[in-house]
Amino acid sequence: MKVAYYKGCLASLSAKELDSSTQALAPKLGIELDELDAVTCCGAGDIHEAEPDYYLHLNARILAYAEQTGAETLMTICNVCTLNLRQADFQLKKDDELRARVNTNLETVGVPQYNGTIEVKHLLWLIADGDGYEQLKQVAHKGLKGLKVAPFYGCQILRPSKLLGFEDPDRPWSLEAIIQACGGDPVDYPAKIKCCGFPIIQAREETALGELVQPLEQAIEAGADVMVTPCPLCHLSLDAWQSKLNADRKKRGRAELPPMPILHLSQLIGVAAGLSDSELKFKRHVVPVTPVIEKLQV
Amino acid sequence: MTEAATHTWEGPTMQVALKIWRVTGDGERALETYEVEAPEWACLLDVLDIIKDRQDGSLAYRKSCRMMICGSCGMRMDGRAVLACKERMKPIVDAGHVPVISAMGNLPIVKDLVVSMDPFWSKIRAVKPWLDPGYDEADERERVRSQQEMNVIAKESLCIMCGCCVSECNSMESDTEFLGPAALAKGMRFVGDPRDQADVERLNDLNGEHGIWDCTRCYMCNERCPKGVDPRDAIAKLGAESIKQGIDHDMGAKHAKWFVTSAKTTGWLRETDLVPKTQGIIGALKETKFALKLARRGKVPPPGPIHVAAEVDEARALYDLVKQQGRDGALGIVQGEKALQRLEFEHTVHKKDQPEGQQ
Repeated sequence: MKVAYYKGCLASLSAKELDSSTQALAPKLGIELDELDAVTCCGAGDIHEAEPDYYLHLNARILAYAEQTGAETLMTICNVCTLNLRQADFQLKKDDELRARVNTNLETVGVPQYNGTIEVKHLLWLIADGDGYEQLKQVAHKGLKGLKVAPFYGCQILRPSKLLGFEDPDRPWSLEAIIQACGGDPVDYPAKIKCCGFPIIQAREETALGELVQPLEQAIEAGADVMVTPCPLCHLSLDAWQSKLNADRKKRGRAELPPMPILHLSQLIGVAAGLSDSELKFKRHVVPVTPVIEKLQV
Repeated sequence: MTEAATHTWEGPTMQVALKIWRVTGDGERALETYEVEAPEWACLLDVLDIIKDRQDGSLAYRKSCRMMICGSCGMRMDGRAVLACKERMKPIVDAGHVPVISAMGNLPIVKDLVVSMDPFWSKIRAVKPWLDPGYDEADERERVRSQQEMNVIAKESLCIMCGCCVSECNSMESDTEFLGPAALAKGMRFVGDPRDQADVERLNDLNGEHGIWDCTRCYMCNERCPKGVDPRDAIAKLGAESIKQGIDHDMGAKHAKWFVTSAKTTGWLRETDLVPKTQGIIGALKETKFALKLARRGKVPPPGPIHVAAEVDEARALYDLVKQQGRDGALGIVQGEKALQRLEFEHTVHKKDQPEGQQ
């Protein structure tokens, strides 16, 4: 299946390991990536909040270029990109007047029109059931050997469900299905559907750390060896801010949490599919992934 | 005694089981199981009424209108905040499920399913939920407002102040002083009201430490709201109105504006500059040690040639074009609401078309 591939900002910059593992994994899963290069940031929640009309146009432009590839699916690898693009897509598809105005503007600046033929889907949804899932089971032959994996969904792949709608936002199952297909053992904990705090980690660090601690603490308590997330923003928060969280706990006289390695979805499957170190790029993680790899090699 | 609690019902009945977290005034908790006969049309509130009338009169919960308008019967079913009068029990019974009922979150429990709404009301009062028309005495002239002007606050006006959005607000779990989704949606209801003349003063108040920019965009509030208010969208409207009015001193506003600058200059987010642009130079210097730690792992792209997206001139031209078209601020979000309401309507119709028990 050919898809238009929108990697978003983080996979282009601080989370290059997500892009490299996705690029290496996709062909094994039967997904042909047609990477979009003349596109911009989706605006995260930020442009939607600062300049909402510009947000709509930027996303319409991404959708228009995706349509030009001839693919039916625009594949994302980030929760925030998924919500932003799907929201804009629905707004354009279900309001002819609005789409006409946006298309006139796109045309004025030399961008092709968007005809509403694209569906925005996260990689997670392409492989969690149906043919994609069957293919995944074939690819993940190296297996995770019963590794205890804590799925962390994050927010904007589940909520608002009227815009995302792949699964029950309170009882999601897709990451668990993938972990099982890879031979891992999914562990359950309530905060797997909650916020990692990333959107406000710079403007309100204390509030954000109060959110971040919940999934980490609960995953540790549930006996997880590793956590996996479909969102590079959640990854950055869980991986890079773990040391800050512990420094904060130390300052408050609380015990530090043991280190918890965090994997991107493509990396977790990549391990089971036998991708190379140069594709997985674990050296780019702040919390070492080595203990997990060693456990798998025993 | 309510209709549901009388002994006979016309039509078929069902056996309904519930597990209820009972909580005493001293905070002692116990999970009790109840099983009662109820008519097939019963909602959760009807079942609670039957339990209270027939099995245990000490069970405490709030209720009033029984028709989704008073906002009294907010509580959790299987961890989700719901209005007890809105939740039909038949599909749950048919699925063989025994739901767990508990009090709402983020508010102190008084007894069983009753929470103290005092913190909720104090936050509502803090946003001055009354119209400030900018004059003391109305003149005799009628002041006509168009439907289009009032559409800006159509969704925010639907709020029944039940607290379901507050119950699972992730930011409020971490910062109990956060104004929260209900109060902020109420704030937008007045900021966006064309008859109100205090919008700048209101926006300045809402840009405080525990205001707009404390929202973590978890969208729990939109998911839980039983009336379609979509409080997160109301908060985004407040952010957009603040920036339109030049009220952008908060780090959250600066953070948001940097994304706009990035998109129109390089296309992709200029990550390395995000911290100094959000927190200022001094704030960024305090983060040097942390930044170096991330830089060693390649998490902070080094300064130097900036990664520029192809055809970024188009993104810049689009910005200049839309800025001339006057859909700044909340209007930029309001313009998308018609489409999203169509989507919501289709979802509702789709749900109704499914056989009961498969929704």
